[in-house]
Amino acid sequence: MKTFDYVIKDEVGIHARPAGILVKEAKKYASTIRVVKDGKAAAATKLMALMGLGVKCGDTVQIQVEGADEDGAFEGIKAFFEANL
Amino acid sequence: MALDYRKCAEEIFSYLGGKENIVSAAHCATRLRLVIADNSKINKKALEEVEGVKGMFESNGQLQLIIGTGTVNKVYDEFLAVTGLTAASKADVKAAAAARAPLWKRILKVPGDVFVPILPAIVAAGLMMGLVEALGKAIPGFADTDWYGFLDMVSATAFAFLPVLVAISTARVFGGNIFLGAVVGLAMIHSSLLNAWNVGSTEAINSFFNVTDGVIPSWKLLCFTVKRVGYQGHVIPVILAVALMCVIEKWLHKHVPEMIDLFVTPLVTVLVTTFITFTVIGPVFSVFENWVLAGAQVLITVGYGIGSAVMGAIYPLTVVMGLHHMYNVIEAGMLSGDIGRNIWMPIASAANFAQFGACLAVAIRAHNAKTKAVALPSSLSASLGITEPAIFGVNFRFMKPFVCGMIGGAAGAWFGAITGIGATTYGVTGIPGLLAIDNVPVYVIMLAISAGVAFVLTWFVWKEEQPQTDTLNPESGKKDIANSTDINSTPGTSAADPKERSLFSPLKGNVIPGEEIPDETFASGVLGGGVGIEPAEGFVIAPFDGEISSVAETKHAIGITGPGEMEVLIHVGIDTVKMDGDGFEVFVAEGDKVKKGQKLMAFDIAKIKKAGYSSTTAVLLTNSDDFDDFRIIKTGSADYGEKLYTVEP
Repeated sequence: MKTFDYVIKDEVGIHARPAGILVKEAKKYASTIRVVKDGKAAAATKLMALMGLGVKCGDTVQIQVEGADEDGAFEGIKAFFEANL
Repeated sequence: MALDYRKCAEEIFSYLGGKENIVSAAHCATRLRLVIADNSKINKKALEEVEGVKGMFESNGQLQLIIGTGTVNKVYDEFLAVTGLTAASKADVKAAAAARAPLWKRILKVPGDVFVPILPAIVAAGLMMGLVEALGKAIPGFADTDWYGFLDMVSATAFAFLPVLVAISTARVFGGNIFLGAVVGLAMIHSSLLNAWNVGSTEAINSFFNVTDGVIPSWKLLCFTVKRVGYQGHVIPVILAVALMCVIEKWLHKHVPEMIDLFVTPLVTVLVTTFITFTVIGPVFSVFENWVLAGAQVLITVGYGIGSAVMGAIYPLTVVMGLHHMYNVIEAGMLSGDIGRNIWMPIASAANFAQFGACLAVAIRAHNAKTKAVALPSSLSASLGITEPAIFGVNFRFMKPFVCGMIGGAAGAWFGAITGIGATTYGVTGIPGLLAIDNVPVYVIMLAISAGVAFVLTWFVWKEEQPQTDTLNPESGKKDIANSTDINSTPGTSAADPKERSLFSPLKGNVIPGEEIPDETFASGVLGGGVGIEPAEGFVIAPFDGEISSVAETKHAIGITGPGEMEVLIHVGIDTVKMDGDGFEVFVAEGDKVKKGQKLMAFDIAKIKKAGYSSTTAVLLTNSDDFDDFRIIKTGSADYGEKLYTVEP
């Protein structure tokens, strides 16, 4: 499993739109990708769960990547967070 | 400017790594769904850039390109033309699901597919009709009462106009326009045609056509002679006619210029279909009917009850073909002829009662609640002599019970012939037949044999298949794509499902398709399929019984999980996250269980408008991909609680 921490810069946090594109991105990988905030985890492929985390701008989240293509997925998802969130 | 469908399809194709790389293609209401052999060969970046492609993602081994309602089918058609692939959509989707099933099996599946959606209309009506008619025979004078007349009319309606129901359902199965299908069905039982049940009655013919010779007049059309008889009680000719109609309609849609399409296509479709129906399909059936009739009359004279046994076996087949209404002619002939008794009735009774036995076995044996719910009333209706629901809704669909019923019918009919029982009237079978038979104890034994044999055989031979093996098979991508049934033409294979998986409008206002929400993210379908609502009032109620799965900090969006794991996002307004909760009030919290209709949120429409945002509210099924059949039922003006969309798992 590979993890990284990230501070959300997007002004609305992980809300509908950003959550939607995150789900779209996460579905590209075979690995399981989780977003953890304050000990609460959500699969990055589950829109409702992601929104349920209530991640706001300035919050720190941990992203966990685990699975067959975790190296590629890790790089991809990290780049995605930096570009979009 | 309209999208160049051809160009769009060609561009998509050019980025997919060659034809060999495409396993199969289908489309749903908004997306082109492709199964790709090797994902590394496709150029995803370029695909997203293609004009007309609003979004792209991969799911369940499928590459899905969001193209949009009304457009995707045209791009899809061009895509097939460009690639030379064969269609895997609409009616073919179901066929593709059973892709490896031989042709005859697929043909046998059609009546079932057609009948299942009709069942709610005919199962209870059949039972009611049987009861009313039985009471009319059992209680002296009841048949003359107003109540009898009324109840008989209401319960018989679905059967009297069965061809119309069959036509509509067939049009759905074959992907044609259901209203044109209805017109074809209506034409086949038009009131200027003699009711098919009356062809044996000279009186009826004379009074109907105002003639005296008892001969049904004909129309001369070109070199064809069309007898002016309707298709009441028929099923197969109607299915054939409407299936043909769908072929004609589709061909015309493709070849008629769009400008005159609306006028020319329906007109030509209906004209050509009805003409061929009345000149070719009808007469072929009529000849066939006469053969069956003549054959049946010879058959039952074969000695030692063997002929009757054979007739008892094939009787339900003739019901499937819609030929059984002809038998009134035989029965009437027997009563007025040398025999003086109706020895046909025991055969028909045995055959019908055997279908009851088989259907009852299914009703008891089945674990699937849906099957049970259909089989039980259908079997009761069959015991009263109305077998259509049992045959089409249950036995014929599963096939084995039908065959078991044929065997039971043969056994019973043989017994009836050997013992030489007969009836004093005609038109009744099953339990009501007790009132018409000349030897009640023997008749009861015959019914017991028929139903008993059919019941026991069905009990041991029939095994319940996993529910809907024909539409669900997640192991391979290819089959999976075949399951992505088209929203517009899916012939709801589980119309009688008591566990409703539907979303009822959480707002009052004007409902628009999800693709028309004035926001790219919502419209693209990235967040799932669904609708937008332009609210008339500032309230949100629960769209079903469920659990609140998320409430946005800024109070403008609520996630709710409901029946069948439907996960719905209700997002009030566009970009309203920026209002930071001002103008929104939420009455529930995450984890709350809510009841359908419970108030979830209030919002201030004027405030949203003042802040410069659209109040259009997205009501999206975020996991719509997880359902094979996601159907939007309603757009336009809607009140709270109106059904907007449904899913089937």
